[in-house]
Amino acid sequence: MEPVSEDQSSDQLRRRALAGDGYAFGELIGPVLDPAFRLAMTMLKDRATAEDTVQEAAFKAWRKLDRFRPGSEVRPWFLAIVANECRSMRRSRWWVMRSNGPFSPPAKVQRDWADRIDLDAALDRLPKHHLLALTLYYHLDLPIEEVSRVLGCSPGAARVRLHRAIAALRPGLVTEVGR
Amino acid sequence: MNGEEPELRRALEGRSGSPSPEFRARLASALGAGRPVASSTPRLALAGAVILAVAVVGVLLMARQGGGRIAPLPGSASGPRIVATPTPAGCTFCPIAMPTYAQLSAPSDNVVWVLVQDEYLARSTDRGADWERRPLPTWSGQTPPLEMSFIDDHEGWLLAVGDQIGACRSQTFALAHTTDAGATWTQLDVKGIPEEHCKDGVSFADSQRGFVNVWDESHLPVIYRTTDGGRTWTASAPLPNPPGFKITDTGGPLQPGTVRAFGSILLLPALGQVSGAPMQYVFSSTDGGKTWSYLAGVPVNGALAFKASTQWFQLGGSDEAIETTDSGKTWQDYASDYQQAAGVAPSVVFADPLVGYATVRGGIARTVDGGHHWVWITTPGTGVTPVGG
Repeated sequence: MEPVSEDQSSDQLRRRALAGDGYAFGELIGPVLDPAFRLAMTMLKDRATAEDTVQEAAFKAWRKLDRFRPGSEVRPWFLAIVANECRSMRRSRWWVMRSNGPFSPPAKVQRDWADRIDLDAALDRLPKHHLLALTLYYHLDLPIEEVSRVLGCSPGAARVRLHRAIAALRPGLVTEVGR
Repeated sequence: MNGEEPELRRALEGRSGSPSPEFRARLASALGAGRPVASSTPRLALAGAVILAVAVVGVLLMARQGGGRIAPLPGSASGPRIVATPTPAGCTFCPIAMPTYAQLSAPSDNVVWVLVQDEYLARSTDRGADWERRPLPTWSGQTPPLEMSFIDDHEGWLLAVGDQIGACRSQTFALAHTTDAGATWTQLDVKGIPEEHCKDGVSFADSQRGFVNVWDESHLPVIYRTTDGGRTWTASAPLPNPPGFKITDTGGPLQPGTVRAFGSILLLPALGQVSGAPMQYVFSSTDGGKTWSYLAGVPVNGALAFKASTQWFQLGGSDEAIETTDSGKTWQDYASDYQQAAGVAPSVVFADPLVGYATVRGGIARTVDGGHHWVWITTPGTGVTPVGG
């Protein structure tokens, strides 16, 4: 029996998934489920929300599978869908609500948070496209070419985004380091 | 980054986590159940030729029939586009797996619409006791994310949006209209709404007056309004920065909710962040939506719903309820038996001060006494009937 290469196996799974085989689609994305979930966790900071997000992304990916070119890498394709789903989830009222604590007047909130500045809070304050770039590169350790594919830009533009993200984060880091 | 890089990696790791075996098993099971049937690729394989025929040949044929079923192209050729409006007859549909998500539109005390997972539209004229599936348009490409707004039991609008480009730098969209409860959908030739920024929050107060939010992460939102049923739109002045909030390049967005009209008074909730802490605000307009002014801050531990112009209600993720009757100046605890398994705040809509609905993870609860007592009702399309529902 001829050995089946990774590309051939992936393409077979893709064909079966296109034909309606959900288990095949599960196998197709199985190897990238871990980085997808870690991306969602880092972006959303909530396990239940991350699970919902990755599940929804999985179904959207299945729906979009006809746009997935044979021979392409599954990871950047699926991570891009997860990242988009994270943005949608972050925009939704649901996500904001579940991350809330009790109501406080704005002035008090400002004082409390001024006392609690740390790197995690600095990450919270980052624009989400910056957080996404940092997560892909520094947490998931994707090569810059793959980061660029997830972000939908050139490798050069991805480097610029990372640079800007770090620059935006640096004031928070300085505050943290200085404490 | 250099010396700070390990710190950053640790901070990112601290926010992260691995998928649990239970989640992996649940996802595998859900995928095995073949959930996305209504718009799935398997179905597309079968329907591809039909869709192509409709798109290429059916356009002319159906246009000649005068049915208006094939709509004009939207502003962008790459945006969502209706290619057909099938009727439910002959549809095959596998039950949508729970948990899922649902949107509600409650235009009057008896009529309520639900859109489940962007795939299943249903109408009830008896407060959700019985549901009737109603047709949705078939779109070019994959089914886009949808928002709906109905003003009665037969007239409504769907806002379909394409993928965001950048962080809401641009987003294609389409607006569809029905006057026969979805039997036919007409894609409106929308003028006035730019392709820049994200769009959401479609809401119609009547057959002429409607609203759509246009916003991104670094600009104050603008509320577009129409007075001709959705064909032409005009931008409002940007929402003002609410007290304590200032939108900046590194700040969170101010995310508008859905406009609610009470006569000439328009109310709009919005969510923002102050120093990383979520905040909720209400804006009002008394000039038809041309300008908006800050009205009140709102406790953020729940989902806000307007019962009347000065009477607002909020259900929290821990099932607690509060209410204000003076436009947010003061809030009181509100006795409510609302309970849910999910520890997240539901989305709540009130048709009037007494009849309202809450939905979370696809489940739907109904109240007919202003939110004191709730009953879980069937979510159409899921095949799930709650105990006692």
